[in-house]
Amino acid sequence: MQTPVFLDHLPDISTVTGRKPELYRLARNRALTDLQLNDNAAWHSRSTCPACGEDIARSRIFSRNFLPFHRCQGCNSIYSAKVPAQQELDRLRQELPAASPPDSGEDREFEFISLLNWISLTEARTETRLETVLDYRFCSQAPGFEDAASRLSHKRSWRFLPLQAGAEDGYGQLRQVLREHAPKAVLVQAEMDRVADPALLLRTIRETVAKGTVVFIGTSCADGLEYEILGADSPSFIPLDRLNLFSVKGFEQLARDSGYTVLEASTPGRRDAVLLEQHFNSAENEHIPFWSSFFREASKDRLRDLQILLQRSLKSGVMRFALQT
Amino acid sequence: MTLRTAIIGYGKMGRIRHEAMERHGGFEVVVACDTQIDPDATVPMVTDPLAVYGYDPDVIVCSVPNMMIPDVVCEALARGKHVFSEKPPGRNSQDVRRMREAEAANPGLVLKFGFNHRVHDAIEEAKKLIDAGTMGDLYFIRGVYGKAGGPNYAQNWRNDPEQSGGGILIDQGIHMLDLFQMFAGRFTEVQSFVQRKFWTEVPVEDNAFALMKNPDGVIASVHSSATQWQHTFRLELYMRNGFISVDGILSASGSYGTEVLTVALNRLDKDGNPIPNPECQEIRFTEDLSWDKEAAEFHAAIADGMPVRSGTSGQALDVMELVEAIYAADPEWNAQLKSRVISAAE
Repeated sequence: MQTPVFLDHLPDISTVTGRKPELYRLARNRALTDLQLNDNAAWHSRSTCPACGEDIARSRIFSRNFLPFHRCQGCNSIYSAKVPAQQELDRLRQELPAASPPDSGEDREFEFISLLNWISLTEARTETRLETVLDYRFCSQAPGFEDAASRLSHKRSWRFLPLQAGAEDGYGQLRQVLREHAPKAVLVQAEMDRVADPALLLRTIRETVAKGTVVFIGTSCADGLEYEILGADSPSFIPLDRLNLFSVKGFEQLARDSGYTVLEASTPGRRDAVLLEQHFNSAENEHIPFWSSFFREASKDRLRDLQILLQRSLKSGVMRFALQT
Repeated sequence: MTLRTAIIGYGKMGRIRHEAMERHGGFEVVVACDTQIDPDATVPMVTDPLAVYGYDPDVIVCSVPNMMIPDVVCEALARGKHVFSEKPPGRNSQDVRRMREAEAANPGLVLKFGFNHRVHDAIEEAKKLIDAGTMGDLYFIRGVYGKAGGPNYAQNWRNDPEQSGGGILIDQGIHMLDLFQMFAGRFTEVQSFVQRKFWTEVPVEDNAFALMKNPDGVIASVHSSATQWQHTFRLELYMRNGFISVDGILSASGSYGTEVLTVALNRLDKDGNPIPNPECQEIRFTEDLSWDKEAAEFHAAIADGMPVRSGTSGQALDVMELVEAIYAADPEWNAQLKSRVISAAE
């Protein structure tokens, strides 16, 4: 298994902590509150970690806001103690016209290019031709992605499966599209952390595609320094979008248990350092030994150095996996 | 298939090969030869290279100084033995041609040279990225490979041109040149500066700079140095769509650092022009598997008839001709070489 590090400039902090991201967080939290107030909503209580299967009784409480969240003692993943039905989650996402995170100009385009280059370079390294790729729902989360993928992928054809109300388990249409188009690769970006049953999604893909298909997963990472220091106060922690916040170890185990070969694991997050710098500079009274002074005094160079160190140590707040069936 | 193996030259390299062959499991080292018997050796030892044939080996591993390589290799081939030889393949291209003639006279035998940099993980990854076409056409290559002399630099046989054929370029820089030709094919135009700056009493170069071009217009520059006080290996390949670099190379000394492959594909602006400083992917390699891969390829070539891909005699000839072309392209250095040859003849 390779562990690539993705080196790039640090993002503009306003893309994470500005007014538009704040509005998005509030909208998602309001949707979660409405769901909890709805007596007819069905919830499934979890008894084990969705990554490694460790008993929930052996976990620590991560947060009690909105929903109880636990941190697994076995693999360090963070997960909600109960989840709504997948159909309900899909409906809530569809009902939010502003559900997609705010567009951040060049950074968003660079994010798309990063994904497309990731696929291209993995294709070359694995010596596998990935002529056809299915995007599972990322196009709904990132409206410009469809255009970018079509514009920038010269020798690859894309099919996009946007967010739609589906079958009872939510994956009927996915199965159908996978069977009809037999893609060589599947992109599951920013999805794994917000589905009710991540193991079912992984299993559905593996059981439907041909052997040798490469599945690209991008999701949040519980090992990230932002979650280690800020916990549920991290601006990235939006409960309805983080029902499953996997650790690298936890997701690797889930992938292997689901029958995949793990080709690559990485944590290409770029925001831990700038988020923490912003946090400690805006909360002057907060004191955490070492970290508060580190971030208050850090120059941009030092923040970048830290972010690279986090990536090299698989400790940033976003992770990517390339899996093969 | 277990191959009975004799190692001629049981110094540092011979022992590295011995360990790799033991890890492979398909070789049984039955005898080793060196100038002195090592009482702690785990295999029988002899001091006469011809005595190894009394042990009925299938394979000869040749880890001797450059000037002895052609004799050892040709003798082994003539006796029907497969041969694995260290680089450089002798002292000059004439040595390689002689070995190729012996190889051609024994078509059923395998001859492989130890250009192990070709099979370092970072280099293999770089090759895959280029071969896939993802990076586009190759434009240019830059390579720096250098070290800070070494213990007993002035006394070391490697710096006696009669024994080695040259200095740092033929000893270490040859790996970089071999990689250049692996990526870009043969270089036919060469300009160079070859110098002796620090070890002025030693009759070989301690720095060589060369600029080369292949028939497709790919340019390459190399700097091979024995005054690189900070040990360095850096290979850069720039293509139409991005670049690849390999920093550091895992070595027996461990002094060239971790092997880091960096690759980037360009980000284009709305007019299709590359935006500077693209996102890079960095992959680190921490285990040197090159010795094991070479042992495995050599074994597969003998046991299974698989082709040798890295370290063929053809590649050895190409790179030795390039080394000679670099020495010859510096008029001052070339004049010194010629005067030395005349002096030696007199």
